[in-house]
Amino acid sequence: MRPDLLEKVSGKAEFISDVSIDGMAYGKVVRSTEPHARIIGMDVSRAEQANGVVCVLTGADSGLLTQTDWGLFYEDRPVIARDRVRYVGEPVAVVVADTQARAEAASRLVVVEYEQLSICATPEQALAGDAPVLHEDFRPISDFYFKGTARGQAGTNVFQDYLLERGDVDSAERSAQRIFEHSYSFPGIAHFAMEPHCAIARFDHAGLTIWSGAQSPTAVQKVLARVFGLPIARVRVIVPYVGGGFGGKASVKIEPLVAAAARKAGRPVKVLLSAEESMLTCRRLAAIITIRTAIDAEGAILSRTGDIVMDGGAYADTGPAVALKSAHRLVGPYRLPNLRIRARAVYTNTVPGAAFRSIGGPQAVWATESHMDEIAAELGEDPVDFRSRHLLQRGDEVIDNLRPLDVDPTVMMDAAVEATTKGHNHASRGLALAVTDPGILPVAGAIVRVHADGSVEVRSMSVEIGQGVRGVLQRIVAETLSQPPEVIHILDPDTAGAPYDWGTGASRSSMIMGLAVEKAAGDAVSKLLALASEAFELETTAISLAPGGLKLGDKTVSFGDLFHAAHGIDSGDVTGQASITPRSLDGKLAQAPLFWETAAAACTVSVDPDTGVVALDTYAGVADIGRALNRSAAEGQEEGAAVQGLGHALFENLVFDDGQPMTAMPLLYRVPRLSDVPADWTTVLIENGDGLGPMGAKGMGEGGILGMAPAIANALARDHGVRLRDLPMTPERVWTALSARKWHAS
Amino acid sequence: MDTSVGISVEINGALVSRSVPAETLLIDFLRDDMGLRSVKLSCDMEICGACTVLVDGLPMSSCTTLAADVDGSKVTTVEGLIIDGVLDPLQQAFIDHGAVQCGFCTPGFILAAKALLLRNPNPTRAEIVSALDGNICRCTGYTKIVEAIRHAASA
Repeated sequence: MRPDLLEKVSGKAEFISDVSIDGMAYGKVVRSTEPHARIIGMDVSRAEQANGVVCVLTGADSGLLTQTDWGLFYEDRPVIARDRVRYVGEPVAVVVADTQARAEAASRLVVVEYEQLSICATPEQALAGDAPVLHEDFRPISDFYFKGTARGQAGTNVFQDYLLERGDVDSAERSAQRIFEHSYSFPGIAHFAMEPHCAIARFDHAGLTIWSGAQSPTAVQKVLARVFGLPIARVRVIVPYVGGGFGGKASVKIEPLVAAAARKAGRPVKVLLSAEESMLTCRRLAAIITIRTAIDAEGAILSRTGDIVMDGGAYADTGPAVALKSAHRLVGPYRLPNLRIRARAVYTNTVPGAAFRSIGGPQAVWATESHMDEIAAELGEDPVDFRSRHLLQRGDEVIDNLRPLDVDPTVMMDAAVEATTKGHNHASRGLALAVTDPGILPVAGAIVRVHADGSVEVRSMSVEIGQGVRGVLQRIVAETLSQPPEVIHILDPDTAGAPYDWGTGASRSSMIMGLAVEKAAGDAVSKLLALASEAFELETTAISLAPGGLKLGDKTVSFGDLFHAAHGIDSGDVTGQASITPRSLDGKLAQAPLFWETAAAACTVSVDPDTGVVALDTYAGVADIGRALNRSAAEGQEEGAAVQGLGHALFENLVFDDGQPMTAMPLLYRVPRLSDVPADWTTVLIENGDGLGPMGAKGMGEGGILGMAPAIANALARDHGVRLRDLPMTPERVWTALSARKWHAS
Repeated sequence: MDTSVGISVEINGALVSRSVPAETLLIDFLRDDMGLRSVKLSCDMEICGACTVLVDGLPMSSCTTLAADVDGSKVTTVEGLIIDGVLDPLQQAFIDHGAVQCGFCTPGFILAAKALLLRNPNPTRAEIVSALDGNICRCTGYTKIVEAIRHAASA
């Protein structure tokens, strides 16, 4: 049982937006109304004089900061805009007041004077020769958060230009019988976590403490240490329950701004964004993808090229990693002897792009799996058969030098087809497959501390964001210590007590933090046995752990008895500690990826011919997860990811019109609702116990988002005769395609 | 223009009489004055259901309701569904069926489902969908929420 669920259903769970700190003031962010402009004047005097206002932070306060600009791949983002803004929504001031209402009221009194600059509204404009350059000064930083360096081109808007190559595509295309080329588009998508971004910052004698709904607390700690010139040891990050993230709270988001406001205010400051403001904080990168496949006379694929252009928004954030992964994720589980995929990410005057569940994955899989069905249709072949002829098998290489494939794509595809067609293999359905290489850094630490009363505390930086990581860690520690789960207490992530961990994302926590707590609990066991051996003068082989304490031969003692015997009083503790590094498990974690996160999705859809409204009728998703450590939580990850994919497929679209966000508010941004989800829904988890994680688990949680959009598009093409290449597949687009087809047919 | 109004509300079974500024929203009254933090602020425009409470047994968005408007009513939050330390069958079913992930939408869902079961103890799937379509969950994909409600209804 997950320890968080009881608190969540009974209203006791404390989320970051529920946290209050003594002496806390409230900050309201004033945001740019211009997509690209110089700030030529700012008048905060009326706001400063307003009721209850403590201070107003602006770019003029940059002297409070040791480092004024920060980033994960480039130090390209000012903590607060100084003389220039690059997107609508960029923070230009923070009004701090004694109540939220007063901060909001005073924020409307800040007057900003802009001088408009010409803009890059789209990637096409940003790539044009005469495009305004958004960042004149490129300051790349290496191995800072993700491994590697972004390959941007100084003097242009391209902040990543990645090439994945194998073989010789040009000669393959020269010898080809047929070449198929299609282009697909994928829009910007809002994370739409139910809890908007929120953070509280406090400076005091101990340094800086920040409470935040952060997925990557140690990245927040590292960036804040640089921004404020503090040792990492003096920056403390605490993360209570987080009300959804999906990557939107990963890396670093509002924390530097909130801390700067607290620095100026001289007292703790809480900033709780509205849902609209969260939508102006980050988004999934939009993409335009052109994909070309060469086929020989026998219908075998000779080569594939891909050209991916991603709209990275005004600041790079983790966009370079998103673009790189999109190239990898365009490959698919297929034999492709020759390959050339270029992925670029470019700056535009829009909301900054960021990580979102399976970075670059849904964009790439949308293109590659639609394209596979288009080729099959042109060849007059069933899409299942066409895929079958090219499917990789377990042990094959997907991308040179990466870990060989650790799943059986055929088994997954067959399971998805079976579930949606009830055994009729050639019955109609839309299908999509995917393989992705999670960018997991195998670096994590954990502490497991056994107390005299038998309670056990677990300190880790893994964030409980709904995935159930606390339940998984509790189970692993309980089993390793032979204790009942209810005595295992997973504490809130707090850098003051828990060792370094890379972050909660990329499907890594159950696996990597799972291994870390398993090892730390094992260390605690060794220390308990050594202590008992001394205290009771027994060989350690005669001692074992038992619920509530230890077994000494046929006698059982409590932990209190142990400490009493060892210390003279019945107090004390034993602390087990462990780290996971790329050298752990005899070096098995050194090769990337740690596992392949794969997906098979199949569906049937119906269409209202009069309105173009698409309804999902049947869906099946398949994931190979090694071992389910909590079955309903694992199914829930798959189902939730797939329904997010349904949003990508049919509804969601962050529209920017000349840089102005047109749909960045909950009222105008349609996410999936219960009525969009069919009753006929199948989730298949394949468990062979063949993962490197605890009990043979692999990571999971992202795969389900990958297949939905192409599966629906492929069902629409197969059953309804229309091929959609732009997401979302809105009623207007579907109706237009249906009408064009009717017109064509008559 | 500080106009206060006196209100008397039965909150989770206890009668509360207060004077509040007329513009006080029900969500702020419940969270800040009553300490009922299960009432969650998300969209702030009555489309997501995270702030749902029961007013005389009917679901209502507390983010767009004035505290003054519930004067004389009974307001229930998930804290009030627990009787003598025992969870409501819906709360238990949400745990048992894994119908909770991040948990931020959960109180609103449980209360909207409670309102449904109060007026229709044996709803069909279509009736559940209709009653819960105003609540957004971004984590679960809804399937386990429907399972939990069906189970609670049949229990």
